[in-house]
Amino acid sequence: MTIDARPKPGSLEAEQAERRPLWRSLLIHAALIAMCFVMIYPLLWMVSASVRPQDEIFSSASLIPSAIDWGAYWRGWNGLRVSFGTFFLNSFVIAALAVIGNVLACSLTAFAFARLEFFGKRFWFAIMLVTLMLPYQVTLIPQYVLFLKLGWVDTILPLVVPKFLAADAFFIFLMVQFFRGIPRELDEAAMMDGCSAWRIYWKIMLPLSTPVLATAAVFTFIWTWDDFFGPLIYLNDMRQYTVMLGLRTFTDSTGESDFGGLFAMSVASLVPIFLLFLVFQRLLIEGIATTGIKR
Amino acid sequence: MTEAAQPTLAAGGESVGRASGWSRFAEGSGPGYLFLTPWLIGLFCFTLGPIVYSFYLSFTRFDLLTAPDWVGLENYRRILTEDPKFLASMRVTFLYVLFSVPLKLAFALAVAMLLNKGIKGLTLYRALFYLPSLLGASVAIAILWRAIFSADGLINQLLWSLFGINGPSWITNPKYALWTLVALGVWQFGSPMIIFLAGLRQIPQDMYEAASLDGASAWRQFWKITLPLLTPIVFFNVIIQTIEAFKSFTPAFIISGGLGGPVNSTLFYALYLYQEAFSFFRMGYASALAWILLVIISVFTAISFLSSRYWVHYDD
Amino acid sequence: MSFHAKRRHFVAGHIDRRQFLAGCSATLALGLARPALSQQQRLRMIFWGSQTRAERTYAAADLYMKAHPGTGVDGEFLGWNDYWAKLATQTAGGNAPDIIQMDYRYIVEYAGRGAIAPLDDFVGSTLNVADFDPLQVDSGKVDGKLYGISLGANSVAMMVNKAVFEQLKLPLPDAKTTWEDFSKLAAEITDAGIRRGFYGAADGSKNEQIFENYLRQRGKALYTADGQIAFDAADVAEWFDMWAKLREAGAVPPGDIQELDQQNIDTSLLTQNKVAVAYANSNELVGYRKLNKDPVVLANFPRLTAESKGGHYRKPAMLFSVFAKSPNQKAAAEFISYFVNDLEAAKVLGTERGIPESSKVRDALSGTLDETGKAMLAYVSGLGDLAAKLPPSPPKAAGEVLIAFQRTASGVAFGSQSSSDAAQAFVTEAAEILKRKT
Repeated sequence: MTIDARPKPGSLEAEQAERRPLWRSLLIHAALIAMCFVMIYPLLWMVSASVRPQDEIFSSASLIPSAIDWGAYWRGWNGLRVSFGTFFLNSFVIAALAVIGNVLACSLTAFAFARLEFFGKRFWFAIMLVTLMLPYQVTLIPQYVLFLKLGWVDTILPLVVPKFLAADAFFIFLMVQFFRGIPRELDEAAMMDGCSAWRIYWKIMLPLSTPVLATAAVFTFIWTWDDFFGPLIYLNDMRQYTVMLGLRTFTDSTGESDFGGLFAMSVASLVPIFLLFLVFQRLLIEGIATTGIKR
Repeated sequence: MTEAAQPTLAAGGESVGRASGWSRFAEGSGPGYLFLTPWLIGLFCFTLGPIVYSFYLSFTRFDLLTAPDWVGLENYRRILTEDPKFLASMRVTFLYVLFSVPLKLAFALAVAMLLNKGIKGLTLYRALFYLPSLLGASVAIAILWRAIFSADGLINQLLWSLFGINGPSWITNPKYALWTLVALGVWQFGSPMIIFLAGLRQIPQDMYEAASLDGASAWRQFWKITLPLLTPIVFFNVIIQTIEAFKSFTPAFIISGGLGGPVNSTLFYALYLYQEAFSFFRMGYASALAWILLVIISVFTAISFLSSRYWVHYDD
Repeated sequence: MSFHAKRRHFVAGHIDRRQFLAGCSATLALGLARPALSQQQRLRMIFWGSQTRAERTYAAADLYMKAHPGTGVDGEFLGWNDYWAKLATQTAGGNAPDIIQMDYRYIVEYAGRGAIAPLDDFVGSTLNVADFDPLQVDSGKVDGKLYGISLGANSVAMMVNKAVFEQLKLPLPDAKTTWEDFSKLAAEITDAGIRRGFYGAADGSKNEQIFENYLRQRGKALYTADGQIAFDAADVAEWFDMWAKLREAGAVPPGDIQELDQQNIDTSLLTQNKVAVAYANSNELVGYRKLNKDPVVLANFPRLTAESKGGHYRKPAMLFSVFAKSPNQKAAAEFISYFVNDLEAAKVLGTERGIPESSKVRDALSGTLDETGKAMLAYVSGLGDLAAKLPPSPPKAAGEVLIAFQRTASGVAFGSQSSSDAAQAFVTEAAEILKRKT
């Protein structure tokens, strides 16, 4: 299996590629490129909105601005008393902690559900799913009061500590499904050799689960980065603001807004997560192929 | 290989009748609870309390600013017997679930399959296809979606220049507004796509090689190898996407300006619930709405789990 | 964990740690370093708005802190949509800031539930409103008690694209214009066909403020003093009919175009360059001018007949209230008093929150205002017989009635209901909402 489709002479892929007619390759690429345009259009539009005159953003349907002014980037970055650099740093710290917490805590929990037998397992699994189902809007206030009593409001703790306690049932469930796809013969063999549950988790499960762990890490990072409601409720001080919260300060539907700044910083806020995605997707996709499970 | 995959009992992944080595390991619940400890601490400290409290609130009148008042089943009675907005929002939400989930998953799986093949420039395609999902649901998306689906938006410009059709203002027409949100949901298909891709990567390549040698067509390989082995992941995506779609809030909130307009055509259930809680100061009523939604979602989830033994194949 | 620094300690130690962490010390030191006095009293303030408002507000707070070395003020600001969910959460947790920016509609919700404090005891001593027009002081009263201090007056207004009127050589609407004149003007603009899909005026049928203006000219109002609706189905039906005629004449856009307007500046059809006239509040002129290429000017709402009057009124664009559980109520009142009276503060605040209520402040400002500020001041103080006194404050459920009104009006615009059916249904629904206890 190779990622590059260019046929190497004489190889099996080359034979396959020769069998695939040229018109089909072209068709696939044409379809992909057309789709890419649909996918990338918003980004182009945002970049264009960030450099065009503000009085044109809402009245012009064209992608091409009448004039280009990169000033919105400078203005957006420094427009507040706290620069966007601080917001980026805050977002990064919160997201990084969330990734560590989620990957560790959720994989432990998922391992228990996928591989261990214990009393009341089905019950706990059902409870875990139920925590996914209730709309957060109604647990928000009791949760706020709880964190307030703990003295955690206006700190990042409410956004981070629950991740270390596997509060994100989505990832537990996700990992359970993937763990169950790993052949059981492997841990059974290890068991025969007298391995403890911990060693099986640490030495067999985790190394074989790179794709799902990477998926969990990337999703956690991106979703924490994009999360706006948690920071909105728990952070009061602008010096603690995240990027998403910072973006919200550009516009106010009842007053004067800086839409140029909003779009400029929106584009900027995409750069780190896009790069992260580009870098990590190798891990995400290639994990299992390279470790090569054979049975 | 598929025949070897044993269907298991519903939730959680119990193994049925396994080798003695395994059952020796499974003896006693000690290790299980040890691994579960962080989650249990989180559950009892942070998650369960607010959930139970919201259940209590659903039997009260609570205006956020003064203490809750016990009203018994009054909230539930009102919702189920004399609340037209409850019905309207249910209808909108069910339509959304019914259309956005299958479309999004079909799309995600198709693209994942395509991207799992050896195609030049794969890395870039993958990243680009994930781009819409990176954008989340921001103010920028709201403005953009209007720019695309409004009267003189991108769609209508295309319709006009290609077919000479003068399209309506999709996003603000009660007949079509919901479908623009379905389109938004489908467009952000990145997360299930990535999960499918990771699942596809878990399928051992040698199975395909063996099948190729036997002369199985690509179509047959998909039905006989790919899909059966992918069922745990399909199952996961179906459950999660359905729950998410039932709870869907942000797209409608940002695009309709928080009101679910025009004429309640995008009044999602969660949006209605939010309105009740934070605009009309009826948190007790909103909590009752939330618990009704919880019941609906769990019925759906339970059915999925019960049916899963017939179509989901685990390898354990 | 390093970010977990208690607010009180944060002033010195926290910044150092961050600087160490981030190395972006330059920006941090800028404007952030506040005197670190442990015995200092700190006031928390929250308001909605964007960066321009925040800059002005922080500058005024800095002036205050310079004049009152014992007190610090921490300001937090959010956009309108996010503001109310956060404030409600904080209030429910008993953790709302000391000083809360309030809206004329929400003040009833908060005051009625005891979430904000009556300020009557501070008036005269800590809180100086001597230079306010007494009627405008009353605008912050709920059930006879003072719960909010107006930060500036505004009035509803039409935002008019002057360039379009000049191009077509049409007279701008003025104090004499009637709805009939206005309809003709709007239809003429549409007919002129400046560009594809351009209409004379926005459809105002779902705009409660124009509806109120219309009712007041008919001698009615939205609500009675005891919180019931003060109009009947016939008023509503005529209102819907009036707009239906404009729609038929092409003077205003059809329902699905109008629906693009979510009654804020960036979605306004004026900003989207689809109409020549839209409806808003006078203090929003700044925002409109920023997002529109063509010059925008203010005009009053039309009269029903040449004789009808009193549709407009001056209302608080926003108010400051004090959290009921705040331990620093006196200090908060003192800050508010400074905010609305001090001439230095007034200079940095300008007319961004509306026309200042204190006559002294207004006089001091009049020379320093820019063209937009002058236009707003001239508009609000020049309403003449078009303006009458403030209506009684709306009842608690007014927000819900408003949403029902908008939904009904949209339904009529989309042709799913006749004016009279819709009017009847709305009046019934409104009465039910106001009656509802749970």
